[in-house]
Amino acid sequence: MERTVEPFEFRQCVSIRRSTGKKAGNLRGLRDLLAVVNEASIFHHVYQYFLKGHILEYTNDFAQWVGETLEESPLSEHLSNTDPYAFGNIEELRNRLVTVIDEYLREFPGPKEALPGSEFYFNQTVTLVFPVEVKVKNLAEFLIAVKYVDGGSIYYHFYEARTRLGSRADDFSRWIEDALGKKELAERIRTIDLFMHTIEGIRDRIAELVEEEVRSDMYGHQQTTAVF
Amino acid sequence: MLAQYSGIAPKSDLMLLQKLGEKLKGKSFLHINSTRAGGGVAEILQRMVPIINSLGIETRWETIEGDAGFFDMTKKVHNALQGNFEEISEDMWQYHLEVNRRNAERLDLEADAVLIHDPQPVPLIEYRKSGKWMWRCHIDVSNPVREVRSNIMRYARRYDAAVFSVAKFAMAMDISEFIIPPSIDPSSEKNRELTAEETDETLVKYHIPRDKQMILQVSRFDRFKDPIGVIKAYRLVKKYNDCILVLAGSPATDDPEGEAVLNEVKEYAENDPDIFILLLPPFSDKDINALQRSATVVLQKSLREGFGLTVSETMWKGKPVIGGAVGGIPLQIVHGITGFLVHSVEGAAFRIRQFLNNPGMVKRMGEKGREYVRTNFLITRQTRDYLSVWYVLENKGGEFFEL
Repeated sequence: MERTVEPFEFRQCVSIRRSTGKKAGNLRGLRDLLAVVNEASIFHHVYQYFLKGHILEYTNDFAQWVGETLEESPLSEHLSNTDPYAFGNIEELRNRLVTVIDEYLREFPGPKEALPGSEFYFNQTVTLVFPVEVKVKNLAEFLIAVKYVDGGSIYYHFYEARTRLGSRADDFSRWIEDALGKKELAERIRTIDLFMHTIEGIRDRIAELVEEEVRSDMYGHQQTTAVF
Repeated sequence: MLAQYSGIAPKSDLMLLQKLGEKLKGKSFLHINSTRAGGGVAEILQRMVPIINSLGIETRWETIEGDAGFFDMTKKVHNALQGNFEEISEDMWQYHLEVNRRNAERLDLEADAVLIHDPQPVPLIEYRKSGKWMWRCHIDVSNPVREVRSNIMRYARRYDAAVFSVAKFAMAMDISEFIIPPSIDPSSEKNRELTAEETDETLVKYHIPRDKQMILQVSRFDRFKDPIGVIKAYRLVKKYNDCILVLAGSPATDDPEGEAVLNEVKEYAENDPDIFILLLPPFSDKDINALQRSATVVLQKSLREGFGLTVSETMWKGKPVIGGAVGGIPLQIVHGITGFLVHSVEGAAFRIRQFLNNPGMVKRMGEKGREYVRTNFLITRQTRDYLSVWYVLENKGGEFFEL
């Protein structure tokens, strides 16, 4: 008897930005506000960074502003190298970011001021989550869906899932492992470096890995290259 | 109504609009601004009101009425909020309130949600009856005259929420302040695809020659749009590249300075036969569309800007834009990718020459710009955002909402 597979239902999130009313004009101001601003703002500037959808040099808004506006590249590199998913909660992440800036300020205490209008504006978001009415039951259907759902859906399942589930796993690899029993493919998806791609890059990489698996399922490893 | 955007707008925007429509169905939504013609606010409302109605939300659009004295005063307020010093007496502020009081008597302010656009009708909050009230500020208030800002904030902080186009415009009041960029409608007369005949018709109508490359700026005749700076840039370019300059704008009923600025621009142009200054009648959307599609280089060289939607309009037509790095323009122009940001007449001239001499670069940046507009600046996204804010206000608490 065939095993019943729990379908994967694609969902998506849309975020509307809200101003916190706080802004920093230099590094010390950034540090002081980072220490006290609400968690939702840190979540937005770090975790939701990849919702932007276009390539920027660094991996969170703080690093981007420090590098681009204040031109303090070494600090940007440190901030970019902070993996937000390595922390148990946002307070731990906040402490780490503040410590990184403190260490830099001890070495370089006189950083420059941003020009008026180029200050760092602390925002947060409200997020609306909704199903996109796409359900898939097998890997081939998943492949088609992952190629065509909106970028916001990829973000929700691949990035946002990690904070929602409190683990380093994303929704896609969980379903592929739990529902389809494909542990190796799930592992390969988990090893995609989520900081080194745009959402479109993530989509392409997942589609590539899944397509390889589908080909392999259909034709076996030996024939894959010859057939396609 | 939404079907016309299918295949154009991101499908998630359409889906969320439908879901929000289901949640808010049967409720009423009232928009109030100060003009039905001219400027980006009126243009957006003309297109957005039917979309929201089509979702089953009963939506009205009203405008406030005022005399020349009222609009002179509100223009001063507008200029002062954008950083120009203006004398505004206490009597003028009283008159601002008085005109709004008269409008409150004339208008039906009953609605489940009321969205008040810009400073002219902001005192209407004094006459609130029911529902959620949101103040939508479309202008660049990042460097305002403080006293004028305080007078506006006196009213604004009584709303349930305020909405600004760009984060740096937010006013740090004690109410929720949302950031919602404006948008363009891809199916409107101003943005739809045109045939070659339709484009030619406009050029013939305005006697614009087709044998030279065209530099274009479309905007109101307003000093903040720097039309004189555009002519200066054109003159620098003209030394190296033969081209024509077209400055095209429509008058707006709430802008009494337009005629004076137009005359200044004409005088500065000194009857140069290659400069075409077009005062287009209201609703010249198809002609603006044709001009944007015909131009080789399009500028939005503003010195202050609310958002500068002509940038997105142009990018939607696959043309990269050279824009002043002010207001919402940097949100639309990703420097070096969808166009160029400039800070001076010389910078504008340099980038114009780059575009005139590199058609491959124009095509490449133009394609990127169109996609950028599709995902970020279409009317479906903005409508979605307004309804989201209303929904969030109706369902207080939390940062996540499951629909």
